[in-house]
Amino acid sequence: MIKRGVSLYSYQQAEFFHQMTWKDELREVATNLNGADGIEIISETTVPRYPMPPESFYFEWNNEMARYGLKAVTYDAFMDTLQFRDHVMTIAECAERLKYDLRIAHKMGFENMRLIKGVPIQAVELALPLAEELNVRMTSEVHSPQALHAVPGTWGESIGRDIAFIEKTGTKHYGLQPDFGIFQIAPEKPLVAYQLRVSAGLSKEESFKVADELLAIYDEIGYKDKELLYAKAEPVAPSLFVKRPSPMGGGLRCAADHLFSGPTADILELYNVMQYIFCIHGKFYDMTEVEGEPGHFEDKGIQYKEAIAILNACSYDGYINSEFEGQRSQQDMGYEGLVDEVEQVRRHHEMMDRFINDHSKDMTI
Amino acid sequence: MYEDFLVRTDSLENVVENGETTGFKFAVRNANYRGIFLSLVTSFYVEMDGEEFPIDDIRFAVNGAAPRSMEELKKAVFEHWDMQDEAYLYVKKPGGLEKGTHRLGYMPGTIDGYGYKATDAEWVDNPPQPGKGGGKTYHVCNFTLELN
Repeated sequence: MIKRGVSLYSYQQAEFFHQMTWKDELREVATNLNGADGIEIISETTVPRYPMPPESFYFEWNNEMARYGLKAVTYDAFMDTLQFRDHVMTIAECAERLKYDLRIAHKMGFENMRLIKGVPIQAVELALPLAEELNVRMTSEVHSPQALHAVPGTWGESIGRDIAFIEKTGTKHYGLQPDFGIFQIAPEKPLVAYQLRVSAGLSKEESFKVADELLAIYDEIGYKDKELLYAKAEPVAPSLFVKRPSPMGGGLRCAADHLFSGPTADILELYNVMQYIFCIHGKFYDMTEVEGEPGHFEDKGIQYKEAIAILNACSYDGYINSEFEGQRSQQDMGYEGLVDEVEQVRRHHEMMDRFINDHSKDMTI
Repeated sequence: MYEDFLVRTDSLENVVENGETTGFKFAVRNANYRGIFLSLVTSFYVEMDGEEFPIDDIRFAVNGAAPRSMEELKKAVFEHWDMQDEAYLYVKKPGGLEKGTHRLGYMPGTIDGYGYKATDAEWVDNPPQPGKGGGKTYHVCNFTLELN
């Protein structure tokens, strides 16, 4: 049976505005999500005075987790290669930081530790003996724009590297952590509207109206015939098609390239990598009520129904942890316009619970 | 992210040192969903009422310590700016600011990241200049501050 949890990343905005602390977040997960019991954290957000939290923090953490019967599923570790500032971190230093995080994760009772994409496999290899000793499994995230197979010469190469390493070493302490953002089948309305406000200066009302028009065009044409899609969409919102240098590097891109890319991974490929999956990021942006089904919610952009059906078919019994990321596209409309993360996560769990328990045979993929 | 909320708009004060008004200060937040090491904080773009201030005239105060220059922050390789915490920027301006309304253009520059990247070696010596990127803020953010 698929288990449900929450990455506290989902409540980042509530933490920023001091509306919730990690203790409030644990209580919310334990009491309002219909049986969810998994917790994932961002190391450098939840651990106070990272990397040297007071001993009292570990006591408080383990006490609160036990109080609510929660399970520490995944600790998300970071890697800032310029931390030492006077040189680029060496592989040995990178491995030492991994080991340091493994120890914190272990003291907090975590089963898994997520590594970010830019951690070299040589550093993983150096940290592996400690991971095995502490019994904390390291995971490599598979994040958009990656596929679920290796694409040589690109950022998406790492999954091939990861699987080769697992096969070569036979380790049970290194695996994959797919992020459902790779199954982004349609654009998310709040993200489209945000881009329209930023790039064309549209008002809130106009931005959602034009976003609706663009989504209707996308619904009709889909992402596969990009030429036709762009030909129809560009006159509606020219500003989304202006190419600019990407702040993340990698040459000129327009907002439409990102918004209308379609899924970066084929959902059926889940079957090929199932044996390597330790846990999953349930990425989502916008939970809206299903038309004609009061109390039922969906993220129209991500292939949740299909993905969960496949996980069910494969008897996946790990966690899907909610990772809400719709905040950033709704922070330009004043304090009153901020999205309600707590409500979004509750809706996400209503949906996941319903899909996990749906064993109907009419699923077509 | 948090572009409209990075500066606390009721935090502007003049700075008085040894009886002399040496500049002004205001409270800022980390533009991130996580905390970062102080060594990764490399620049601040500060433009007050049209006057841009050089980075050497800006100091950063956090964790109860005295204000530190960017050169001093470089050495704080294990000290964290937690995401929930406010810091103060101290800006040198002899005589300080007049009472009343002031317009601030603000952009933080940080070199936190997601593992090894192409710009690593370059940024050891030449991190992005103030207002030229780094971190999760991609443009100068505007605020209206009141000095009482």
